[in-house]
This record gives sequence, C-alpha cells and structure tokens, in this order.
Amino acid sequence: MSGMFRAVLYAQWKWSRLIVVLGTVAGFAMPLLSLQGAARPDRGALQAQELLRAVQSWGSVYPLLAAALGLLIAIAAWAADHRGRHIHALTLPLPRWQYVGLRFGAGLALLAAPIAAVLIGALLGTVMATLPPGLQAYPIALTVRFALAVFVAYSVFFAVSAGTARTAGIILGAIAVVVLVQVIASVANLEWDLLGALQVVLLQGPGPLAVFTGRWMLIDV
Amino acid sequence: MTNAIEIERLHYRIGKAFEIPALDLHVPSGSIYGFLGPNGSGKTTTIRLILGLLQPVSGRITVLGRPMPAQYARILGQIGYVPEQPHLDATMTVRELIDFQAAFYPRWDRARAAELVERFELDAARLFGRLSKGQKAKLMILLALAQCGELLVLDEPTDGLDPVVRRDILSALLTYVSERGATIFISSHLVHELERVCDWVAVMDNGRLITESPMEKLKHGTKRLVVTGAPAEIGNPPFQLLTRESSNGAGEHWVVGNWEPEMTTYLENLGASVRDVIDLDLEEGFVELLRGFRAKGRVVRV
Repeated sequence: MSGMFRAVLYAQWKWSRLIVVLGTVAGFAMPLLSLQGAARPDRGALQAQELLRAVQSWGSVYPLLAAALGLLIAIAAWAADHRGRHIHALTLPLPRWQYVGLRFGAGLALLAAPIAAVLIGALLGTVMATLPPGLQAYPIALTVRFALAVFVAYSVFFAVSAGTARTAGIILGAIAVVVLVQVIASVANLEWDLLGALQVVLLQGPGPLAVFTGRWMLIDV
Repeated sequence: MTNAIEIERLHYRIGKAFEIPALDLHVPSGSIYGFLGPNGSGKTTTIRLILGLLQPVSGRITVLGRPMPAQYARILGQIGYVPEQPHLDATMTVRELIDFQAAFYPRWDRARAAELVERFELDAARLFGRLSKGQKAKLMILLALAQCGELLVLDEPTDGLDPVVRRDILSALLTYVSERGATIFISSHLVHELERVCDWVAVMDNGRLITESPMEKLKHGTKRLVVTGAPAEIGNPPFQLLTRESSNGAGEHWVVGNWEPEMTTYLENLGASVRDVIDLDLEEGFVELLRGFRAKGRVVRV
C-alpha cells in the first residue's frame, strides 16, 4: 500500500506542484507581512491598537488562502482521472474506496507543506516581533485553525470534483433554486430569508464552514 | 477445458438507446479469442462488463473463476487491459507511467517492461501526450504485458495503426501467450488481423451474439454454394442457411454455415444440385453472418 501511495503522491505532486509551491510561499510570507513593523521596541498603547488592526486585516486572507488551496488541490487530484474518463483508475486492482483514499491522502500530504509554512512563518514572525504589553502571540492556534480550514475546504471540493458534470450540475441547480426562491419571496413580499438562514446554518458555529469565519488573529489580547 | 471468461444470460441496458438482452459467451483458457463486430455492436460495452466497469441488470459473469463485479479488485490484478482510446495521463512520461503501474501490480515484471521499452523503441523520458499513436498503443500493450496477468483484454488495440506497429504488437502478444499460456480476449473489426492470430472467434451485432466458434470451424464451415433446382422451402437442413439469393437464372447463391461435403446428398435428395462450393475467408464469412443475422435475427450455431 505504501508503494501505491508513493506512486499516487508523486503523480499528484507533478500535477499540483506549482499550487503547492505558491501556497507554501504565501503561507510563510503572510504571518511575517502581517507583523511588519511590529519588530520595533518603541510601541505604546496606541501602537498596540494599530498592530491589532493590521493583524486583523491580514486575518481575512488566511481563510481565502485555505479555501483556494483546498479547491485547487482537489481539482488537480481528479483532473487526470476525469480526462481519462476514470478508465485507468477503475481498472486498477484495488477496491475503489481505497483508490479514493489514496487520492485524498496524497492531496492532504501535499497540503501539509503550506500548513507547515504558516506555522514556521507565524513562529518566526512572533519571535522577531516585540509585542506591546497586553498582547499575546497565537502562532499554534492560528496554524491549527488554518489547517482545519484547509482540511474542510479540501474535503468539500474533493467530494464535489470527484463527481461527474451531472453532480456539479445538481449542486449548482440546488443553489440556483434557493436563490430563485429567495428572489420570488422578495418580490411577493414574503419575509423569508433563505440565504440568511443558509448562511447561519453553514457559517455560524457549529456549522461545517464556521472555521472560515470569526477572527483569524496571530496577535491578540 | 476451463473457461477464462464465462458469461451467462447477461442483460445490460443503458437508457433506451442500447441493450444487450441475453448474452452467453465462453472464452476457453489459453485461447486467443477474437471478438468481432461492427462499430456500435456492443463490443466495448461487453468488455467493460467483463472488467466490472459497468453493472449488469442481470446475468452472471465469471472471470478467471471468480464472480465479476463482486470480486473486481482481485480479478483486475490478473488482467492486463488495453482500452480502445488511450486513457493514460498525458503529462506523465513513459518512465513515470511504468513506475506508477508497477506500484499497483505485485507480479509486475520489471525485466519484461525494460525489454519491451527497448523492443518498442520507446523514449522513457518522453511525455505520454507527445507520443505518436503507435507509440501510445505500444506503451499500453507494454503496461498490460508487464503486469503478468493470466488474461489480456484488448479493445481494438491496433485500430488505426500502421502495419509495422500492428505487426510489432501482435508479435509481442503471441510471444507472451507462448511463454505464459495466457488467454487473450481481443476485440476488433479488422477481420484479417484476427484471422491470423485467433483460435476462437465470436461475432456480435446490435447487442446480440451471432456466433461463437473455433476459428477453423467458422472459416472452413462457411461456404457460398451455387445451387440449382432447389425447392422454395426446405425443411431442417443439416447446415445453417445464412442467406439465399437468386442469381439471374444461373441458379441461386446460398451462404451456409456448418457445411460438410457430404451434405450435397441432402440437397440432391430434394431435387437440387450443387454446381459449385466456394470457400469464404473470414471477412466474407463475417459479412454474410451479419447479413443473415440481420435478415433473420437468429443466433447462428456454427
């Protein structure tokens, strides 16, 4: 099984190495850039507010990077199989769930690089920075949160991109129906807020996508 | 004799467009079994059913003694498959594809793979997408042979290739069979090609099996007769009457299967005389079988 995994991992690395390398560079650079200027030792209370604002504004980039990495690695994982109409994969001598597991695992292994880069960048940035009194660095918590967001995004997009065009059509169709119902409800002056309800269900805790929302703070009180 | 592939009462349907109503097929172990049929007759669908890529509505498929698709993972480890269209990733090199495939097959023969790379003159560093059609076909044959399966399933492997490449591929296949005693199930519409290498042949049309027989029996038992004085209706002849056409007063042309020379007596007893018996090659026999089947819609037992 390890030989199979290595073979799948190598193939996926070949298809998605540019994404992995760019994601790793971005993951490493983001914590350092968010703490730019925090290395000065002359910071007072006002500067602390300023620093928190800067860190908070960078905080919105982490979930975007996590979602983008999850999406692109998931698409790359299945692209070659889709092109070959899955014939090669389906004729390999292993149970299909195992093949899916190998593909999923290889993608996760590749995503470990940008996650590790966020951790290293965050640790390095906080070590080099001189934090104003009352502020704390949370490099591990930020990395864990980033890793969870990457995992959720990758899992969702992996499942969607494993399907056929028909599956994608069904998903898009379901979204279109919700939007259409919302539009009709608005026109008919009905007080339905389907999109708001959907947002609450998905994005607010304990919703499956809640990890993407909230404060992504490398430095906080 | 055991069968490498056995299909019994197989029913498969995809929408309303195509149906295999009740297919029976028996591929003897160690044979080179040619699977003939015009385009769209159901050859590729049958192969996909044999490989467990499609789920039948009903019926039984046994491959190398195991039920398909129930035990597909185990069976596929013993099957080398070459599909009709190249299915490999165009961005991988020849070497990478060989290494990828080797990881999945415990009986992978590295020495054979290396020997075939040399014999087929493949550039190991070249991307699959940059290979010519012939080179792609050779690589897919290489991958199928190096996994050392007991059964090779080849779906029109030489279709559209030049004669030199075709010869190289067929030669590699024959060497493999002679060395390992493997079974080859090869579909094609290149009748002459199958005639040279196969010892069993089946003909399919529109989802139905027209005939399944040893190659020699099909080739030697299918004749064109020039008959005069035959009554309009004949009862149950000892041969298969595939087609019957009048020929401008010069008697009738009959195409028959399962013909033996002593059967002229049967026709003479009916008041007819056989003026000529013409041998048909496999291609002519194939065409006549199709014509006869399409006219009567009946399975021919040769």
